[in-house]
Amino acid sequence: MRFRVYRFNPESGAKPAFQDYEVRLQAADRKVLDALVRIKEADDSVSFRRSCREGVCGSDAMNINGRNALACITALEGLREPVVLAPLPGFPVIRDLIVDMTLFFKHYHEIRPYLVNDEPPPELERLQSPEERDRLNGLYECILCACCTGFCPSYWWNPDKFIGPAGLLQAERFIVDSRDRATAERLAFLDDVYRLYRCRTIMNCTEVCPKGLSPARAIEHIKVQLVRRST
Amino acid sequence: MRVFTGQRAFLLQRLTALVLLAYVAGAAVRLAFGAPLSLGQWRDSAAHPAGAALIALLAAALLLHAWVGVRDVVLDYVKPLGLRVAVLGMVAAALAFLGLWTALILASHAL
Repeated sequence: MRFRVYRFNPESGAKPAFQDYEVRLQAADRKVLDALVRIKEADDSVSFRRSCREGVCGSDAMNINGRNALACITALEGLREPVVLAPLPGFPVIRDLIVDMTLFFKHYHEIRPYLVNDEPPPELERLQSPEERDRLNGLYECILCACCTGFCPSYWWNPDKFIGPAGLLQAERFIVDSRDRATAERLAFLDDVYRLYRCRTIMNCTEVCPKGLSPARAIEHIKVQLVRRST
Repeated sequence: MRVFTGQRAFLLQRLTALVLLAYVAGAAVRLAFGAPLSLGQWRDSAAHPAGAALIALLAAALLLHAWVGVRDVVLDYVKPLGLRVAVLGMVAAALAFLGLWTALILASHAL
């Protein structure tokens, strides 16, 4: 199977370029990550992140034939050849398929991804009703792979200011959590022309999320709550 | 007061879009099913207070919608502060001129 891999080594001083590989797949090789491992066996200078190999850790997010996806759960079968593998768009490239996610996680930390509740804790736990727990569905499953953020033109334009779809989905996850007591502060933080309102509902985020989540819907819900708060 | 708000511009863009959508739908129905209007009939409708109010509302919605849209584009693409202020100033002046021109035309018909 033929692959075209984005190569960049800042230490060499050479410009980024694509390199072609012909991979002889083994019987058990089913996913793009399997092929990347074969490429690495043949050329150990190829660099990429991977860990769990089952779509849970989000390490191997990359652009596969023009679409952001996780290499470990993207089937080789049906991919157009040569399969073009590139780093996540909009992120600074450290080396080959490895991108710098500093800004991504800076935004993630800005939305305070933890429960804020100064009330005395109960003896066992802060209970939720089944309905309150259901509100977290479609939000808590985010693995922070950055497929959505790396496919968002609004993030490409303002990566330093726009929180991005992943960060906003995580913000919504804590806004709707019945145990959190900082909803007003969270919404006030997001009510900003850059942090939230750079989203133009392009919906690339929802289109590419490997977990089937909808950051676009979460962002819309935040906007609705901001309107409700101000009326 | 913050100059570049998020929510106000967001709401303004959507409310003006609804106004524009209503006009487009109304105009489409009128063009599809109504008899063609002569220039004189158009002038008469603009001279009528209700017609002038509708045209003024359309112009205001269009100009405000354009302002938010162009402002968004400028915020995304024009990064240097001085250039951004200059471009926004030119856009605001152009839109204000168009609004004033519309008002003068409506006023001249009303007199």
